[in-house]
Amino acid sequence: MILAPAFLRRRHLLGAAALSALAPLPGLSLAGTARAGDARLVLLILRGGLDGLAAVPAPGDPAFASARGALGQFSEPTLALDNTFALHPALAQLHALYGQGELAVVHATGLPYRERSHFEAQQLLESGGHRPHELATGWLGRALAGSRGQAIALQSAVPLVLRGPAEVDTWAPSAAAEPAPDLLARLAQLYAGDPALAGALHRARDLRVSGVSLNVPMTAPMNMPMSVAGADMAGAAPAMAAAAPAAAARPPLIHTLARQAVEFLARPQGARVAVLDMGGWDTHANQTSPQGALTTNLRALDGALALLREGLQAQRLWPKTAVLVMTEFGREVAMNGTQGTDHGSGGMALLLGGAVRGGQVIADWPGLAPKDRFAGRDLRITTDLRAVFKTLLRDHLQVASAVIDHDALPGTAGLATLPLLRG
Amino acid sequence: MSTAIPTAIQAAIAAHRFGLGEPELTPIASDPQAWLRAQIGPADAPYSAPGTELQPSAAALKIQNDSRRQVNQGGRDDLREVVVTDQRARLATAARSPRPFAERLVMFWSNHFTVALNKGASRGLVGAFEREAIRPHIAGRFVDLLRASTGHVAMQRYLDNHLSAGPNSRVVERSVRRGREAGATPARLTGLNENLARELLELHTLGAAAAAGPWGPWGGYTQADVSATAALLTGWRDGFDANWHEPGDKAVLNRRYASGAGALDALLLDLSRHPSTARFIATKLARHFVADAPDVALVEQLARAFGESDGDLATVYRALIDAPQAWQPAAIKLKTPEEFVVSSARLLRLGERIVARAPDAGMAAMGQRLHVAPSPAGWPDQAEEWLGPAAVWQRVEWASRLADRMGPMVDARALAQASLGPLLGQASRQQIERAADAPQALALLLMAPEFQRR
Repeated sequence: MILAPAFLRRRHLLGAAALSALAPLPGLSLAGTARAGDARLVLLILRGGLDGLAAVPAPGDPAFASARGALGQFSEPTLALDNTFALHPALAQLHALYGQGELAVVHATGLPYRERSHFEAQQLLESGGHRPHELATGWLGRALAGSRGQAIALQSAVPLVLRGPAEVDTWAPSAAAEPAPDLLARLAQLYAGDPALAGALHRARDLRVSGVSLNVPMTAPMNMPMSVAGADMAGAAPAMAAAAPAAAARPPLIHTLARQAVEFLARPQGARVAVLDMGGWDTHANQTSPQGALTTNLRALDGALALLREGLQAQRLWPKTAVLVMTEFGREVAMNGTQGTDHGSGGMALLLGGAVRGGQVIADWPGLAPKDRFAGRDLRITTDLRAVFKTLLRDHLQVASAVIDHDALPGTAGLATLPLLRG
Repeated sequence: MSTAIPTAIQAAIAAHRFGLGEPELTPIASDPQAWLRAQIGPADAPYSAPGTELQPSAAALKIQNDSRRQVNQGGRDDLREVVVTDQRARLATAARSPRPFAERLVMFWSNHFTVALNKGASRGLVGAFEREAIRPHIAGRFVDLLRASTGHVAMQRYLDNHLSAGPNSRVVERSVRRGREAGATPARLTGLNENLARELLELHTLGAAAAAGPWGPWGGYTQADVSATAALLTGWRDGFDANWHEPGDKAVLNRRYASGAGALDALLLDLSRHPSTARFIATKLARHFVADAPDVALVEQLARAFGESDGDLATVYRALIDAPQAWQPAAIKLKTPEEFVVSSARLLRLGERIVARAPDAGMAAMGQRLHVAPSPAGWPDQAEEWLGPAAVWQRVEWASRLADRMGPMVDARALAQASLGPLLGQASRQQIERAADAPQALALLLMAPEFQRR
């Protein structure tokens, strides 16, 4: 192997602009990001803009019923959290976790962004900047600066949130036979002049050699999309069936990914951070149907989070784990013309894990009456979602404040952390 | 232009960067630019295998609508047949085409105007959309392409416009009245769905201002423009249905559009002439063909060609071919999985046999499901998006499987020289020459940086 370690570390550097935005020398970043023992962080990105008021409705808000209309009527009773908030009936396992003090909800939260583009909002969600595209790398990637193999993305490409100076692994289900070792050795030589291809191949080999189960039971069909960023995928489920018949009995892909994430996080010297991705939340139409995409996806999400808990509990890692479930924006409070919702701003985030101070809804609740909404349309953002990121970096991953304020989440020095973690 | 670069290198660049790879460069060598210019024009009729039929959108929509009943009755699934036939046709057409530059433009524009089959409402229509809205218009005026796309039932269904009703339209009034008469049942139709309106502005024409970087300005619209565009678009649901249309004037980007079907053509013409559109399209073309972060001067040049020709795409392509920045020998762009699969097929002269085993030739495993773009923004056009370890690993697996089958039948050393010509570097040449056996030599050629990049 003729790869210099420098190649590997620099594999995801994204050019001069990104570098100058990062400013600090790699050495300094390393010093600032001490490895925080055994803490585990899982990020689950819900792409497409989950309707926060569908996942965590506020039936105790006097304006809720009139503001939400048919959207506020569920086919089964909602699951109460407190006098104001409840969970969607499809989130039963999360509800139990809330009761055990392992799930916290942050509501009326969002990014410093008031436009309604998926693509810009996801860019911000992952980059951690103030304006879309101002930062070309991810907040978590910058927080992990200089580290190697600490993070794994359960998809074929490295998501923006993990891009930066850190070396990141990716993993996606594969069922094919292994290429011959001799071919791989020769390819490594062939890539001597192409660090990007060299680094990717090298890491892929490492992941396979070091004992990850290659022949993952193919509970998800190979031709499911690995990442469904921001898609308007209200009709996704039946489409899968068209492309891969007999998909009906298969569990959702996110369940396979959750199981695999546990395996990565449990390996000695393995990843501390895992990023998963789930699409299909852009519910412009038919949001209320109990068989519709939203309910189906919420149920799949509930199951995936329960699998994460079960797996990490068995590995005795759950007490050290925090899982953040986040989405790029919420949706308009009122129903649109097609029994769905159009893009909005304020939404919710979920934080769960043994390390989480659960059983609470953190919200400076702005109210749902038209006069209380942003632009008359959206749940107003009263909690900057980056405060959650900051809390996790500082208090969970033990990233130094200076690194957070300068590199990971620049410009957030004045942003207070939230009482989301135990200990 | 580019006289400093030897013609042999230019021929290889024309074949790989602008086209989809060629097994030999001799036919291009005399005048690579002329070879490209001669390909500018509407795309050719797509190839379909003997005994298969490519369904036009009306027929495909009918099959789509009948599909659930058909499957429930245990019959054969015609919709699946449509989807699979369309996938095969796309790859086979590109693999066989004598005009690969035109096929690249088809790929570019069908990605710009994404319609994907992961939405039930447009599941059977993706191939028909490409054939009807994209292929005939790749080299005409941009506005004609834009009208063909926005006006196509597949786009309208993919982005929910078939469900969007004017809040004061007849269909909503009727629905509310009936709902009231029937008692408690709430009206099913109540108003707008902004999905198509937003993506028309953000993804198809003006771009999102904040994403422009040094290549802008893009964008320049507000939420009010999105809402007004949505109102203007009501009624467009497989043709224009006035009962769904929102009455009254709409103001988009400070221009007024009267009620009715005529407003859409007028809006699309204005959008096509907006300076943001010229910059946005110019950036995307330069990014697709030349570099992930293209030279700003190149983008300006293309935007000028776009603006001065009133959006004549042939003029823009000629400006691209004439630009020295497009002929730099260093290959920066990483092929997408689809480009990799098609160029491998062309290298090996496989033609339609590339889809003999799987309708997508196995490219899904490399991270790109054919006709299932992850979002309305289409597939990413930057190398970093395709360079995750898992994705690169899948390319190796795919190359190695193809090489095991085809390696014994070809001389990879000669093939490398004939296809890549002077672009083939010393290191890769040596690796291929020293390979242990023929399949390994071919796998090394397919995975060589010179073949992975363009």
